[in-house]
Amino acid sequence: MACSGGGGHGQPSSAILSPVTPGSLSTSRTRAHSICMVSDFFYPNMGGVESHIYQLSQCLIERGHKVIIVTHAYGNRKGIRYLTNGLKVYYLPLKVMYNQSTATTLFHSLPLLRYIFVRERVTIIHSHSSFSAMAHDALFHAKTMGLQTVFTDHSLFGFADVSSVLTNKLLTVSLCDTNHIICVSYTSKENTVLRAALNPEIVSVIPNAVDPTDFTPDPFRRHDSVITIVVVSRLVYRKGTDLLSGIIPELCQKYPDLNFIIGGEGPKRIILEEVRERYQLHDRVRLLGALEHKDVRNVLVQGHIFLNTSLTEAFCMAIVEAASCGLQVVSTRVGGIPEVLPEDLIILCEPSVKSLCKGLEKAILQQKSGALPAPENIHNIVKTFYTWRNVAERTEKVYERVSGEAVLPMDKRLDRLISHCGPVTGYIFAFLAVLDYLLLVFLRWMTPDSIIDVAMDATGPSGAWTHQNPDTTQRVENDEVLDTPR
Amino acid sequence: MVLKAFFPTCCASADSGLLVGRWVPEQSSAVVLAVVHFPFIPIQVKELLAQVQQASRVGMAVLGTWCHRQQEPEESLGHFLEGLGTIFSHEPWLQLCRERGSKFWSCKAIHRQVSAAPDVPSEDQVMLIFYDQRKVLLSQLHPPTVVSDHQDGDTMASTGGLAVVFDTVARSEVLFCSDQYDEGPVRLSHWQSEGVEASVLVELAKRASGPVCLLLACLLSLISAASGCRLWKLWPLPFIRSKLSTCEQLRHRLDHLTLVFSTQKAQSPAQLMRKANMLVSVLLDVALGLMLLSWLHSSNRIGQLADALVPVADHVAEELQHLLQWLMGAPAGLKMNRALDQVLGRFFLYHIHLWISYIHLMSPFIERILWHVGLSACLGLTVALSILSDIIALLTFHIYCFYVYGARLYCLKIYGLSSLWRLFRGKKWNVLRQRVDSCSYNLDQLFIGTLLFTILVFLLPTTALYYLVFTLLRLLVVTVQGLIHLLVDLVNTLPLYSLGLRLCRPYRLAAGVKFRVLEHEVGRPLRLLMQINPLPYSRVVHTYRLPSCGCHPKHSWGSLCRKLFFGELIYPWRQGGDKQD
Amino acid sequence: MCAQSITSTKEAKWQKVLYERQPFPDNYVDRRFLEELRKNIYARKYQYWAVVFESSVVIQQLCSVCVFVVIWWYMDEGLLAPHWLFGTGLASSLMGYVLFDLIDGGEGRKKSGRTRWADLKSALVFVAFTYGFSPVLKTLTESVSTDTIYAMSVFMLLGHLIFFDYGANAAIVSSTLSLNMAIFASVCLASRLPRSVHAFVMVTFAIQIFALWPMLQKKLKACTPRSYVGVTMLFAFSALGGLLSISAVGAILFALLLVSISCLCPFYLIRLQLFKENIHGPWDEAEIKEDLSRFLS
Repeated sequence: MACSGGGGHGQPSSAILSPVTPGSLSTSRTRAHSICMVSDFFYPNMGGVESHIYQLSQCLIERGHKVIIVTHAYGNRKGIRYLTNGLKVYYLPLKVMYNQSTATTLFHSLPLLRYIFVRERVTIIHSHSSFSAMAHDALFHAKTMGLQTVFTDHSLFGFADVSSVLTNKLLTVSLCDTNHIICVSYTSKENTVLRAALNPEIVSVIPNAVDPTDFTPDPFRRHDSVITIVVVSRLVYRKGTDLLSGIIPELCQKYPDLNFIIGGEGPKRIILEEVRERYQLHDRVRLLGALEHKDVRNVLVQGHIFLNTSLTEAFCMAIVEAASCGLQVVSTRVGGIPEVLPEDLIILCEPSVKSLCKGLEKAILQQKSGALPAPENIHNIVKTFYTWRNVAERTEKVYERVSGEAVLPMDKRLDRLISHCGPVTGYIFAFLAVLDYLLLVFLRWMTPDSIIDVAMDATGPSGAWTHQNPDTTQRVENDEVLDTPR
Repeated sequence: MVLKAFFPTCCASADSGLLVGRWVPEQSSAVVLAVVHFPFIPIQVKELLAQVQQASRVGMAVLGTWCHRQQEPEESLGHFLEGLGTIFSHEPWLQLCRERGSKFWSCKAIHRQVSAAPDVPSEDQVMLIFYDQRKVLLSQLHPPTVVSDHQDGDTMASTGGLAVVFDTVARSEVLFCSDQYDEGPVRLSHWQSEGVEASVLVELAKRASGPVCLLLACLLSLISAASGCRLWKLWPLPFIRSKLSTCEQLRHRLDHLTLVFSTQKAQSPAQLMRKANMLVSVLLDVALGLMLLSWLHSSNRIGQLADALVPVADHVAEELQHLLQWLMGAPAGLKMNRALDQVLGRFFLYHIHLWISYIHLMSPFIERILWHVGLSACLGLTVALSILSDIIALLTFHIYCFYVYGARLYCLKIYGLSSLWRLFRGKKWNVLRQRVDSCSYNLDQLFIGTLLFTILVFLLPTTALYYLVFTLLRLLVVTVQGLIHLLVDLVNTLPLYSLGLRLCRPYRLAAGVKFRVLEHEVGRPLRLLMQINPLPYSRVVHTYRLPSCGCHPKHSWGSLCRKLFFGELIYPWRQGGDKQD
Repeated sequence: MCAQSITSTKEAKWQKVLYERQPFPDNYVDRRFLEELRKNIYARKYQYWAVVFESSVVIQQLCSVCVFVVIWWYMDEGLLAPHWLFGTGLASSLMGYVLFDLIDGGEGRKKSGRTRWADLKSALVFVAFTYGFSPVLKTLTESVSTDTIYAMSVFMLLGHLIFFDYGANAAIVSSTLSLNMAIFASVCLASRLPRSVHAFVMVTFAIQIFALWPMLQKKLKACTPRSYVGVTMLFAFSALGGLLSISAVGAILFALLLVSISCLCPFYLIRLQLFKENIHGPWDEAEIKEDLSRFLS
C-alpha cells in the first residue's frame, strides 16, 4: 500500500533522464520517489543540517514523495517517531562516539538499515553531512544493495593538516560510487570536487534556504538611541569567537553608544566573559547563552547590525536570517559567504580584527546617517532569494536524474573502487565491499526480503491522511504543476 | 445501561417487604441495605428513613419491593407490591422476587415516569450482586478514597463505584443497630451483630479506657515536661543527647505513648490503625524486654558478662597494637615513608595506651553499670538494644579517634594535592566561576608549589594506608551499630496490629473485590457474588508502616564511596547540614 | 570576487552567486570553475643558517639537562663537594644577574617593574625553603626503589624537554608544566643523594639551570646573537666534556644527537620544502594572524 503510494518500487525504472534544469523556470510533474534521508544529525539535536533535512523532507512530502528519516537514538528518544505530515523518523539504537556522530564498524549498521530500506521500499538514499558516520555507512550499504544514492555536503574542509588528509581519503572512497552529490554553494562544490576527486558534472549546487516568514523585521523592538550589534553563533574557534573578543573592546572604546548582544554557547564563551570583565562592559555586552531556534528571531530584531566572524562557512544561514530580519550584515569573506547575499546587503571584510572593525564602522556610519534601506525593504528583497520549495524542486530534479541512472554491478563497483581510490585504499575498501556483500547475502538468507513486512505510510495511501494539506493528494493525482516559491 | 442491584446475602431468606437502601445515579446502581417487613405504616417507614438519613448522612430511600414466595403463590401480594410503588415513588422502581426454593430469582426495574411513553413501564436490564453485609461494613477499601463529609448524601462526589458502595454500607451502621427482635413500629431484616451481651469485656474495656488514658496522658505530659526542662538545654547536653541513640529511642517511644494515650478520639480509620499499631508495637517491645531482663538476671549472667568485657577490650587493644606495629614496618611490601610512619604509629600507640588505662580504671564499676543497664530492658527491647549500641560506640571510641585523625590527615593531603596538581599544570581553581582557569604563576610560587607537591606525593601512600586501615575498622563498628539500629527500627516501624488483622480477618483490609458468577441464564438477571480481595502483606506493611526514629543518615553508595575517597568523615547519625539524597 | 555587476546581455553570463536564479542547470560547470585554486601560497623559504641558529634553543635545553644529570652523577659518586658546587652556582648566578641587567641596560627591568628587593626576596624564599625542606627531601624517597626514581626522573626530564617553550606557537607548549616537571625530577634525584646538604645544593642548582639560565639565554639571543652562539657552543662543549668524563659512548651519542638536531634536521627541513604541494582556496579555514592575547592581558 505504502509502496504503491510511494510509487517508486513497483514499476521498473523507466529511464527518464530529465536534465537538471535551473531552479524556477519550468517544473514538469514527475513520478514520486521513496526517499530515505540518513544522517547522524537530526532533531532533537539543533543545527543547520538538522533543519535542512527536516524542511527539505517536509517540502518533498508536500510534493507527493514518500520520505523517511534515519538517525541515531538521542537519549531516551529511540524507535520510530512521527513528525508533522506523517514524516517518519527512525531513531536507531547505535552508540554515539564523538560529537553526536556514531561509531562505525562499517558493518554493524547493515542489518538495521537493510531492514528499513526493504520495509519502506526505499528507492533513493539521501545522506547528509560528511561528519556523519551513519551517512557514509548508509551510502556504502545502499550501493551493496543496489540502491541509488545522493549525498549532500554541508561543510568545507581544508587540505593542510593530517586529519583532513585522512578524512578526505575516506570521503573519496565514500563518494566514489555515489550517483550524485549536492553542495550548498559553489565554493563548497569546488571543495568537494577536489576532496573526493569527483567529476564536477555529478555535483549540483543547491543552496540552503530559510523560512522568510520566521524571520520578519520588527523595527520597534530596537532602541535607536544606541546601535546594537548582534552576534548569533556557536562560540567556538571556527566561528571566529577569538576575533569577536578583539572587536568588542576596540569598538566599545571608540563608540560609547554601541551595544553587543551575543547569542550562543560554546567553549570560547570564557574568553568573551574575560574580555567583558577586563574592560568592564557588563552593561554593554549581553551574553545570552544557548538560544533555541525559535528565539533567534527575537534576538535578531533587537539589533541594527549583524556580525558574522566565521573563519570557514559553506553556506551561512545566519546571515540570510539576519538580512531577512532587516539587519545590515557585516561578515568575513570566507568560504561560500560572498555568494550568499548581493553586495548591497552585506559588508565583506577580511578575517582580521582590523578589517572587521573597519567594516563595522562603515555600517555604523551608514546606520547613523540613515543611509541604510528600511528593514522592511531588505526583508522584501531577501525573502525571494532562498525558499525551501525551490530547494525541494531542485532536489527533486536530482532524484529524477539519479533514478534513471543504472547502479554499478558488483564487479564494476570493485573496479571503480580500485581504480579511483588509489592502490592501497582501493583494495582495502574493495575487500570490505565484498565482505559487506557477503554479509548482505547472509542476511537475505536469514530473513528473506519477502518476509519483511511492508511499512504503512503514515500519510496514508497517496497522502490521503494528511489533514494539513487536503489538496496535496489531488495535486499529486492530477499531475498539476506546483507553485513556484512565493 | 445495566442496572446493578447490590443485595445483602443475609436478606436472601427474609420475608417479603420493601427494599430500603440507596440509589447511586452515577453508577446506576442500587445498594440495598435492609428489607422492611409487612405489616408497616408507610409514614413510620418514612420517619425511620429520615432518622437514619440524619444520623448517617446517606440518602436513604425505598428502592422497591421484595417478594419471597415461600409457601403459596400469592397472586394478590404481587399486585399489592406493585401498588406500593405509587406510595413510595422512586425512579426506577425495583421489583425483586425470589421463587420458591432458592434457585429462581427475578428482578425488574421499572421506569414509571418516562415522558415518551407514560403508560408502558420500560424495563432495564438488571444485574444482581450479592454482598456480605458484615464484611463490607467492617472492611476498609484500599487505597482509601476521600469521601467528602460536608456534602449531602445524594450528591456524592466520589467517583470510584466500589468506594461508594463500601462507603454507603459503612455509614449506615446506625440502621443495623436497631434490633431485629425489637418490637418497633417497623420490622427490618438486615445483618445483625451478635449483640451487646457477647462483648461485655470489650464494653468494660471501652468504659475503662477513658480514665486510664487520662491518667497515663497526665503522667506522660509530666515526663515530657521534665525532659523539656531548661536544665537539659545547657551546652553539652543537647549535643550528647543527639548523638546517643538511647536518648533518641526514648524520645521516640515517649512520642508513641503520648499519641496512643491521647484523650482525643481517632478521627479516621487510618489513624485508629496507627494508634493500634503503636500500642501493639510498644507492648511487644516491653514483653521482649522483660524476657531479656529475666534471662539476664537469672544465674548471674551480668557478672559473667562484666568479667568477660574487660579481657575482650584488652584483647582488642592488643590486636590494634599488633596492627599498628605491622603498619610501622613495611606492610604488604608497600613503600612507606619511614619517618612519617614512625610518627603516626607512635601517636596511635600512645592513644591505645591511654585507652587501656582508662578501661582498667573503669573495670571495678563495670558490673554495677551493666546491672543498671540491664534494668533498662524493662522499658523495652529497643531501649536495651540502643543502649547496647551506645556502649559499643563508647568502647570503640579509640577506633573512632584513629579514624578521625586518619581521615583529617588524608583529607588535607588530598585537597592539598589536588590544588597543587593544578598549580603543577599551570592552572588554578576559580572560586567565583566554579571552574579551572589558566594562570601564570611567579617563579617562587611555582617552586614552592612543586616542592610541596613532590613531598605530598611521596607521603601520600603512608597516610592513605593508615586511613584505609582505620576506615575499615570504623566501617566494621558502624556496620555492627547499623545492624542493631536496623533491628530497633524493625520493632519500631513494623505495623504488627495491621499484620495480625490481615492474618486473622483478611476481609478487614480490602484491596478490591472479585465477583463470582452464581447464575447466568438467558432471560434471568445475572447473579454475582461479591467477595473481598484481601490486601497483600507487602502493601499492608507499606501502608501502615510507622515512622522510623529518623536519626540515621541515608547515604547512596556512590556518595558514600565519594566521601570515603576524599576522606570526609562518615557518621552513623545524621549531620545537621546533611542533605538527604 | 562574486561581486560583478549584473550584465543584461542576451547571452546570460554565469555568475558565482546563489541568490539569483540563473539559466544554467544546477550541475553546470563553468570555465571559471576552480579558478581561485592556489598552491603553496604559505610555503616559506628557509635559510639554512637561520634554521641552524634557531635550533640552538633546543641544543641549549638538551645541554642543560645533560649538565644537570652529569653534576648529579658527580655528587652521587661523591666526586663533587656540595660546598664547591654551591659556591660556583652562587658566583655564576650573581654574574648572570649582573649580566642580565647589563645586556639591555636595565630596560627589561623598567618594563616589568620588578624591583631588586623583590629579586632578593625571591632568592631568599628559594634558599630558605630548600634549606628547610632538605632534611625532608633526604628521607622522602628512602623506601622507594632507585629504579622507580630513575624512571620517574627520566620521564619528568623528557616531559620538561617536550613541553618547554622553544618559541613554537603550539597548544602543547606550557612553560609552567615544563619547569614544574624539571623541579620534580630534581627533587626526586636530590633525594637519592647521601646527605641533606647535597639535596639542598642539588635543588638550588636545578633552579639555577632550569629556571634562571633560560631567562638569561632568551635575553642574550634577543640582544647579542653573536655572543649567544658562542655561549651555546661553549655550553654544548662543556656538557659534552662532562659526559665524556662519565661515559665515552654516551658522549658520542649525545654529540651525534646535537649534530643531527643542529645540522641535519634543518637540512632536511629545507629539502622537504621542495616536495610541498598544498592546495588553497576560498574554502580554507581562515587563520587569525593577529595576536589577540593583547586584549586580555
